Amino acid sequence: MRATVWSGRNSVSVENVPDPNILNDRDAIVKISSTAICGSDLHLYDGYVPKMKRGDILGHEFMGEVVEKGKGVGNLELGDRVVVPFPIACGDCWSCKHGFYAACENSNPNAGMAEKMFGHSAAGIFGYSHLTGGYAGGQAEYARVPFADVGPIKVDEDLSDEQVLFLSDVFPTGWFGADLCDIEGGETIAVFGAGPVGQFAIASAILMGAEQVIAIDQYEYRLQMAVNKAGATGTIDFSEDADVVEQLKELTGGRGPDAVIDCVGMEAAHGHGALHAVDRVKQANRIETDRGQALRDAILACRPGGIVSVMGVYGGLMDKFPTGAFMNKGLQLRTGQAHVQKYLEPLYERIRNGDIDPSFVVTHRLDLDQASNAYETFKHKQDECVKVVLKP
Amino acid sequence: MSSKASTTVLGSPEEVQRRWADEQYRPGYIDSVDAAVSFKRAPGDRGTEIHVDLEQAAPGGKFGEMLMKLTGKEPLAKVKDDLRRFKANFETGVIPRSDGTPEGELAERKLKQRPAQPLAPDELEKAGA
Repeated sequence: MRATVWSGRNSVSVENVPDPNILNDRDAIVKISSTAICGSDLHLYDGYVPKMKRGDILGHEFMGEVVEKGKGVGNLELGDRVVVPFPIACGDCWSCKHGFYAACENSNPNAGMAEKMFGHSAAGIFGYSHLTGGYAGGQAEYARVPFADVGPIKVDEDLSDEQVLFLSDVFPTGWFGADLCDIEGGETIAVFGAGPVGQFAIASAILMGAEQVIAIDQYEYRLQMAVNKAGATGTIDFSEDADVVEQLKELTGGRGPDAVIDCVGMEAAHGHGALHAVDRVKQANRIETDRGQALRDAILACRPGGIVSVMGVYGGLMDKFPTGAFMNKGLQLRTGQAHVQKYLEPLYERIRNGDIDPSFVVTHRLDLDQASNAYETFKHKQDECVKVVLKP
Repeated sequence: MSSKASTTVLGSPEEVQRRWADEQYRPGYIDSVDAAVSFKRAPGDRGTEIHVDLEQAAPGGKFGEMLMKLTGKEPLAKVKDDLRRFKANFETGVIPRSDGTPEGELAERKLKQRPAQPLAPDELEKAGA
């Protein structure tokens, strides 16, 4: 089959590789109809996530048709159209049984490797380095899906691929980010980063009853999407004024947002001149892995007693974490890979009901063979790129 | 250098001990090195803790230990593999396998990962998958 493989820093190529096989009774093979490039794939592409290996198949957002299954997969039939969640979860361990699917205790066969770096291992993830299991990803014609009796959700034929594909990651991740903010109605939420996860965090916060949602980015076209499609009530373009904290104060009468969602992660683009330069040098030399200006600003901007929800991906260590502001303002830091399996049914219902049509983020539709160009376009935000869907 | 490793398995102490003794589940390496194994009910609804103590450091002193770490043959790492496999098999009925680690959790594989792409038929056979 054809698959998008990582071939070193800033390089992917579409190559012929063996077709996947069933390795366990609880596996299924999915013939992929649509797959997307995630902002977090850019961290792999840019070479900032450790334990990548040349030849790794990328991709953790995909859907398609079940074409083969092991004898332990009783809930799916051959021919079923399914969306596959990006965290691989067994459904049987204590964490899965308590809804912490992304903390699955069994799905990472490289748990020992992750324990050395993080203290514990979390769930395996498709196409996301050997630290999260060394699983082949879904930017390919086929993928093997372990624990297929737990993860994939069946979807109706009358909905298009683009309406349901993002159940695999970015819609539940944005929703999870907002869910961690304890929105009861009337809150002000600031969302750093108006990429796909940011767009869905904004839309989710509005659906949950937030009154004021402020989108922060440096690309005007993304901020326009945040307002026109996701429902943001205000924007901050930090390419015009880098002092985001002060602008958030101004927009909230000095209070600061009740909660802030970081949808940026380890490659924050802005920062205050000198500190940003220091971050870039340290990251390039692997002295710190995470360039965390968005998280620093989030902590400084959040109102005392508020919540900082982190959906952006971080991989290791960052410097200048504002512990003083964090502690003295009494903030709560909440984070994690999204427990997608927990949100699949309710969010699928939201799509069915017409509460939201997630296809609004799609700006580029390309053939899988054009994956290399697609990564470049997405990375450099060329051609007003927000989300790329690849068709195998 | 610690000689201890532990895991928590979601099951009653009776069931965990019964399966620990069962041929189908019994961890091969731990069995072969004659380590001290104890079982303890975990707090709340967490299941059963399994504690393994090798009661001796790796042979060959510090240098031997380092060498074994580099080759994935360090006894404690192999004990941890056994514990993870037992837990997974107990809770899920399968040993989780990936394309990078087709054999399932294996210390020797940590340093010699396959690329994360499907195995060719001859490799499948070799990995026992």
